[in-house]
Amino acid sequence: MSFCLETYLQKSDDYNILISRAGFKQCAQLIEENSREIVYVNPGEKILGARIIGIPPIPIGLNEKKGTIILPYTKPCYGTAAVEIPVEPEEMEKIKAAARK
Amino acid sequence: MKKALILLGCPESPSQTPLAIYAAYQLELKGLQVTVAGTPSALKMLEISDPNKQYLKHKTDIESCLDTLEEETYDILLGFAHNDAAVSYFITFYHILQVPAISVVFARDPVLLQELEKEVTETTKARIVSARAYHNPTPLKVRLDQAINELVI
Repeated sequence: MSFCLETYLQKSDDYNILISRAGFKQCAQLIEENSREIVYVNPGEKILGARIIGIPPIPIGLNEKKGTIILPYTKPCYGTAAVEIPVEPEEMEKIKAAARK
Repeated sequence: MKKALILLGCPESPSQTPLAIYAAYQLELKGLQVTVAGTPSALKMLEISDPNKQYLKHKTDIESCLDTLEEETYDILLGFAHNDAAVSYFITFYHILQVPAISVVFARDPVLLQELEKEVTETTKARIVSARAYHNPTPLKVRLDQAINELVI
């Protein structure tokens, strides 16, 4: 079963929502402004096992020091949010490998 | 039999449900097997509008559809894009499927309509069916007829 961010947010308290109910471009800009390192992925790319939704190029913020990523999260009736969540170092490497060349 | 996917956005716009049923009917006339993907509330509106499953035989939840979607799972994509999130979903489905697509872009506000059209045009090669619309689906229906007629299947 793939990772479900919605379930994760319900069951955890170690995340940070930078913005919610926003437009995709606004979230993308916020991710770019608040990340130490950024990789760009294509729409539909699997990040943490779940398909990422958005308008290309989709930024994913990486902070290896904190061990977190910031990613856009879109729901049909709620718009897009930018969410910072902790990830394992190997997941960080997988995200880098999935980046647009 | 070739397959078409109709992708619904949030059902906040009154034009979406009748146009989805109409598009499913027209695509079936073209010989396609039609599946509709949407949120539970969008699908519920369709179920109540088509109780005998006359027009919509196959329905799927948008999230589980996205999870299992692969290139060419469907042969045609028709997606409703009437707000920022719906455009993001349409573009994502388009990039995964890599098949001919029609994007039904509509909004009440002309500036928003132009922005939504621009996003779809810049990131896909989808045929755009667009009109200022909210309650009245007729302008979109006329343009949709033309786009479906011109579909090469």
